[in-house]
Amino acid sequence: MSRASAPPVLPAGLARAEIGELEGAGLAVLAAADFPAAAGDVLPDIVRFVVSSFSPLVAELAERCLTRYFAARPADPGRGERTGVVLASTSGDFATAMAVAEAVDAGRRVPPMLFYQSNPNAVVGYLTARWGLAGPVVCTSPPRDALGDALRAARLLIQDGDAAAILVIVAEQGRPAPPGGTQLAAGQDHGAAMLIGPGSWPPARSPDPAGGAA
Amino acid sequence: MTSQSHRAHQPRRTTAERKSFAAVLLGDGRGAATDHRDFPGEPVLITGLGAACALGRGTDALLAGILGGEPAFGPVTRFDTTRCKVKVAAQLPGSPALADELAAVIGEACGMAGLSRQERASCALLIALHSDPAAARDPGAGQVTGTTPATVAGRCGLAGVLRTYSTACVASSTAAADAAAMIAAGTVDRVVVAAGYLVEADSHGLFDAGRALSTDGWLRPFSAGRRGMLLGDGFAAAVLESASAARGRQATALATLAGWGRSGDAYDVCRPRPDGTGLAKAIGYALRRAGLRPGEVGYVNASGSGTPHGDSAEAAALHLAFGPTVTQLPVSSTKSVHGHALEASALLELVATVLVMRRGRLPSNAGFLGPDEDCQLDLVLGAPRWRQPRYALSLNAAFGGANTALLVGAR
Repeated sequence: MSRASAPPVLPAGLARAEIGELEGAGLAVLAAADFPAAAGDVLPDIVRFVVSSFSPLVAELAERCLTRYFAARPADPGRGERTGVVLASTSGDFATAMAVAEAVDAGRRVPPMLFYQSNPNAVVGYLTARWGLAGPVVCTSPPRDALGDALRAARLLIQDGDAAAILVIVAEQGRPAPPGGTQLAAGQDHGAAMLIGPGSWPPARSPDPAGGAA
Repeated sequence: MTSQSHRAHQPRRTTAERKSFAAVLLGDGRGAATDHRDFPGEPVLITGLGAACALGRGTDALLAGILGGEPAFGPVTRFDTTRCKVKVAAQLPGSPALADELAAVIGEACGMAGLSRQERASCALLIALHSDPAAARDPGAGQVTGTTPATVAGRCGLAGVLRTYSTACVASSTAAADAAAMIAAGTVDRVVVAAGYLVEADSHGLFDAGRALSTDGWLRPFSAGRRGMLLGDGFAAAVLESASAARGRQATALATLAGWGRSGDAYDVCRPRPDGTGLAKAIGYALRRAGLRPGEVGYVNASGSGTPHGDSAEAAALHLAFGPTVTQLPVSSTKSVHGHALEASALLELVATVLVMRRGRLPSNAGFLGPDEDCQLDLVLGAPRWRQPRYALSLNAAFGGANTALLVGAR
């Protein structure tokens, strides 16, 4: 059963105009993933990242999307070497920022583990090391339209020549409701990932479970 | 993450291997790219600069401070450091406000560039910022970076915010590289790039808890006995525009942004790849874009954050990218006097690089105690070195293995 030509299921909110711009630049969406993908979808914990769901969300989106394209870690060196990451988030990692603020305001020492997740680059370093993606790393904080911002940043990097492909990730964290709490309500976190690359690259090696006909 | 444990990981390369790697990385010098597109495009000019840091406000103060070589670190006065091991940073005097300082450096840059009100109104802003501590304490906030970008763009009469970068210590150099890429491609004629960081309790507490801060009160790039970084306030702005746009309004160029490169390490959450291959790749991209051979670069303002692993990885990258010519390449890190301004540091260092090129004096690498075998470079030590390089590099590396190289050309 071959699914090599099955198109990836694109994230909700990706306008046809944006796809047209990608195609006009000779690019294609090679694979895509969402979170949550279905009711009850949960984020696995990742080692060294604590308190906040932001980094697990980013890591899981990357894992799902890249697995659909490369099938298994790491990416083949030829393509991994030329693949970068753009992470855009309107919210950012509120839970980590709030945990730091709470410690500071209470006169406590900041938990050392939070240093290692103190900016969005950290989880990108985690996933690029696992997958062998050695292209540029860019994180943005747009006030709205994070997907559009990330796609524009990705296209610029590819057209400028520093990367052949970009893993685009949009991750939004639900805001913790109660003051003093850093645990997010389930279901509030959401995001999408897309691997944008040359239309000439081979199609995905792994079936897209949410995709079209087998 | 000690320097000892790092050395155990670092592969040794012979000079021949280094030369070979550089040849592969750079092709045969001029435009021999096999995996990277040459991008001639529109020449990108730098026509205005603005700066503020603990050395003072304005580009004159920055130049005087970095050539003076006196580190600006002192006791933190802005917040309580009782729970911190390190109680030192480089701070602007008084109670500076982020938006006010950003507006001031953008105003300085636009004024230096001679931009009219109308020209500013058609000019977009690319900005790099750290997360806003106030947003973490405001239940109504929707973004950890807060609303500063739009506020600043409005106050400065700019067209709006094109993008806000949060890519840690390469945020502002990535913004500059993206601005140059857009101008070279003809997407825009002119962009204002700006960045700002104020030392505050949250980030200082984080870096202190992560044992990233120097416990002896000095930031000693590439030195034996270096103990880490120190934070510093930093604000910078640059007006970048196409040569044709600048010519059209008879503007004077301060320098060219002749090349730029961005790359990743694919190595770790926070440590750089010890063999420097990621940063060397960014250097190679910048050189190739400018059509230069490594020997044509006359100065490097290094990322040089004073961390044991970061500086040795950067030295390895310089050896890889420049091969044998690295022994004739002056290197220093201006962080040694103004501190590490996180998201804003790279742009502050780009401004510093342009200023010292124009003055013809290379700034000293302050805080040096003695040579480290992992950092064998031609460091500028003691007094500034008289030299007027035709080209200089400003390098930066960040969490997540993000690297940037900005190549400045003299005018």
